Amino acid sequence: MTRLLPAGALDPADTTGATASDVRPGRVRGREDRSRLASIALHGTLVLATLVALFPVLWILLSSFKPANRIQTSEITLIDSPTLDNYRAVLFDTPFPTWFLNSVVVAAFTMVIGITMSATAGYALSRFNFAGKRGLMWVFLITQMFPVAILIVPIYTIMANAGLINTKASLIIAYCTVAVPFCAWMLRGYFDTIPQELDEAAALDGLGPFGTFYRVILPLARPGLAVTAFYTFLTAWGEVAYAIAFMQTRDNLTLGAGLQQFVPQFNPQWHLLTAGSVLILIPAAIVFFFAQKHLVAGLTAGGTKG
Amino acid sequence: MSTSVTFDRATRIYPGSDSPAVDALELEIAEGEFLVLVGPSGCGKSTSLRMLAGLEDVTSGRILIGDRDITHLRPKDRDIAMVFQNYALYPHMSVAENMGFALKIAGVSKSDIDARVLEAARILDLEPYLGRKPKALSGGQRQRVAMGRAIVRQPQVFCMDEPLSNLDAKLRVSTRTQIASLQRRLDITTVYVTHDQVEAMTMGDRVAVLKDGLLQQVDTPLGLYDKPKNAFVAGFIGSPAMNLGTFRVEDGQALIGEARVPLPRSTVGALTTDRVQLGFRPEALVPSSAEDAASFPVEALVIEELGSDAFLYGNLIGDDLRADHVVARVAPRSVPAKGTKVWFSIEPGRLHAFDVETGDALPTD
Amino acid sequence: MSQALAVAEAPVEQPPGKQDGRLRRSFDRNWYAWAMVLPTVLVLGVLVMYPLVQGIFQSFTDLTESNAQDVICTKTLGGGEECRDNPDSAEFVGLDNYVDLLTGARGSFWLQFTNTLAWTLACVSLHYGLGLGLAVMLNRKMRGRSLYRVLLIVPWAVPAFVAAFGWKFLFNPRFGLINQALVNLGVDPVEWFNHRWTALFAAICTNVWLGVPFMMVAILGGLQSIPADLHEAAEMDGATPWQRFRNVTLPGLRPVSSTVILLGTIWTFNMFPIIYFVTGGEPAGQSEILVTGAYRAAFEGVRNYSLAATYGVLILSLLMVFASVYRRTLKAQGEVF
Ligand SMILES: Nc1ncnc2c1ncn2[C@@H]1O[C@H](COP(=O)(O)OP(=O)(O)O)[C@@H](O)[C@H]1O
Ligand SMILES: [Mg+2]
Repeated sequence: MTRLLPAGALDPADTTGATASDVRPGRVRGREDRSRLASIALHGTLVLATLVALFPVLWILLSSFKPANRIQTSEITLIDSPTLDNYRAVLFDTPFPTWFLNSVVVAAFTMVIGITMSATAGYALSRFNFAGKRGLMWVFLITQMFPVAILIVPIYTIMANAGLINTKASLIIAYCTVAVPFCAWMLRGYFDTIPQELDEAAALDGLGPFGTFYRVILPLARPGLAVTAFYTFLTAWGEVAYAIAFMQTRDNLTLGAGLQQFVPQFNPQWHLLTAGSVLILIPAAIVFFFAQKHLVAGLTAGGTKG
Repeated sequence: MSTSVTFDRATRIYPGSDSPAVDALELEIAEGEFLVLVGPSGCGKSTSLRMLAGLEDVTSGRILIGDRDITHLRPKDRDIAMVFQNYALYPHMSVAENMGFALKIAGVSKSDIDARVLEAARILDLEPYLGRKPKALSGGQRQRVAMGRAIVRQPQVFCMDEPLSNLDAKLRVSTRTQIASLQRRLDITTVYVTHDQVEAMTMGDRVAVLKDGLLQQVDTPLGLYDKPKNAFVAGFIGSPAMNLGTFRVEDGQALIGEARVPLPRSTVGALTTDRVQLGFRPEALVPSSAEDAASFPVEALVIEELGSDAFLYGNLIGDDLRADHVVARVAPRSVPAKGTKVWFSIEPGRLHAFDVETGDALPTD
Repeated sequence: MSQALAVAEAPVEQPPGKQDGRLRRSFDRNWYAWAMVLPTVLVLGVLVMYPLVQGIFQSFTDLTESNAQDVICTKTLGGGEECRDNPDSAEFVGLDNYVDLLTGARGSFWLQFTNTLAWTLACVSLHYGLGLGLAVMLNRKMRGRSLYRVLLIVPWAVPAFVAAFGWKFLFNPRFGLINQALVNLGVDPVEWFNHRWTALFAAICTNVWLGVPFMMVAILGGLQSIPADLHEAAEMDGATPWQRFRNVTLPGLRPVSSTVILLGTIWTFNMFPIIYFVTGGEPAGQSEILVTGAYRAAFEGVRNYSLAATYGVLILSLLMVFASVYRRTLKAQGEVF
């Protein structure tokens, strides 16, 4: 009753349960004839699309197991004397593990702080009428329009004045400015689909606004929060420009910035890059795995409400 | 436990609107009373109830529970429980958690909560479902959980906003009596909102009729039925509705179709124009014949045969200021055929008269 | 029991005066709303709005790395500091930056502008078109649907610079898989990054690959929020699948479409890492878009903050004009978001 989204359609159990075997007899004439051809075309297209979606990642993965001098050959080989040397090199001969750890810390904090900020702001925007509400929505849109690349200099100055340069905090704060407007706006859309009556029932049950938010609304907003978690994590995980600008010692770099060191102007070290990329993808894959079930439901509400 | 509730000229003007949604509502609800707020959609019933519950600001006036002015208290400080139209059950909590949530917030001990939840579940036949989530319940069960959540609190006042409107017709009738008898048993002051006048008549100790934010009349169901204060109440209460029409008055007699119906002396005395709005309930029409000067012919268009009752819907013949459609209760199982001309007269003493301009009731004795 | 408690607390809650009480109630009702948005407002205010205003201001000066200091301080022998005004500190230059940029005296604004338009148009239409197509297919009941869905979203989880690197690897003229495939097909290998449009093509491929999943997911959500009985009603009315798509699906998607297209346009317009890492502006800045041009102004050679700010203001203005025209068009068609 309260879940306005057809979330049931997203459960894997639900979709795999409805297999081609449940043929509905006699719905529309001609449907069965068409379905064999159509179904081949459908699956063919989807398989092709899936291949395109996965191929670059797979290719990096395959290449990462090739010896350094075999990566840059002009023969097409899927597997070529597989070795773990590249991984060994990345993990033991470069500061990669330190960067990785830095990235994990930055991404985790960005995620937690970003979710907190966007959820509270989104809730306030969804439920309360307060002075400046419209203005805030505009600010959200404008922050998406002003190129981030150009904000680096002024934000650098502000961070420097605050003594935060070369600290993880500077990156975390900067990433929140990038991720929060979209997330707050999207969560507002999600909260809008949760009936206001629940807030009222909670108020009568004795909860204040914060209690209602925390104990009633948040548990119901899981899909929206999953999208937010995913989005904030990715924002922090793959960012390069701020990281290069703010982090000044080699040990403080995050992954995105650190990996640029493998790309000197004329001699990219592809073997380190491929192995490093694969390692970077692992945490992203884990977050993705937990979030993916909720992505559709989470984005729907955000997308349909302006 | 139970206390009275007083609306003291309570008014609500929504931001951005200049006319009040509820206009100076003046209403006293006695201890343990079951008061029904009824009126057409948009008349301000929900707003009144939500002002009492603290979900809507009171623009002016006061609301008291007992002697306590609660006008500006937060909802949780009012000791009120509410049953919402869509039940507003927390989807992520089980039935038992839903029912015990308010107690948990209030810091009641776990064993007390369990005992009270179990007690309420027993009253409402919900014991087998305590561990389920609301999603896994039928509409009627959800409705009972919503009731249970209110009962468990043992509040001073129950507020219910159209709690039956999401049930099917049959369940609505049975639940209606359950709620009414439960309320008598618990003896907790209850304000119940509905747009359905049958619900209002069957459940309420007293019924308050609202229209456009204005209180029209508060009375017992029968009081409203027999002595409506104005034409609106007269037309709103009763099913099928009262026949209402405006007629010319000559020599103390109203011209209804071909009939000349004598009006009581007091009515004529109170008239300000040569017209009067008359009302007569379907059961106040008795079969008559053309010879009776006070009877009028009706052309039968539709006959509703219900078994225990039958209603005739027809056109008043030969009338200039017509009450187009007339409904009459006729004896079941021997109804007149469609298209026939049937003569009726109004049972003495069952005629209602209203001022044409103001709609206010005129004396009829 | 509760009554006794309540009576005891009643006098405390009495507002002292009517007007006073109303103000306090408004504050009571609003303070937590403000408290909830305060962190966001603070962070955005300090780190976005303030720099933005500052940037607008700077775009009217000739501020660069070399003249950023107002005063030049030198350590004196006693350990103190001696400061004097910087003789060449930044000055107000009116519209010079804008004139220089727009006339091409500095930078190559119009080239980058054309590139940006082509880049945005190609990316957004492909994002939307492919996303819509895939979403419609995924919205059918079929075997393996949830597996397809998961796999198709995978690119979303790939950090932009990894995607850029992966595609650059594929497009590598010497050993990239794409050229090898072309050779095997008997076609001459392409020097992808030696021509403006082939370089942009490579970047567009990367960005399309990266961006389709977001669109697909959003549109899939939109599709699922269209009530099934609308489709059934249309089917009863004898509409063909294509007619149903045109008359039920597309209108039902309008709320989602209008927002994701607006957002997608803004994001693509300012999409920095893909161009920066895939083409790096090759050949010779020919494949730069406005954002990367701005970035170069700000970070390469003598950092020219004022020029970068001018770029920023122009980008912001272009997008604001676009957003308001877009909104107005939608409104005229009866859709307000
Ligand atoms: N939140 C609101 N904002 C503005 N006007 C409202 C609001 N809620 C209700 N109204 C208006 O107030 C009047 C009474 O509404 P309500 O109390 O909900 O009526 P009902 O008797 O059907 O429950 C209606 O005219 C309605 O349009
Ligand atoms: Mg209502």
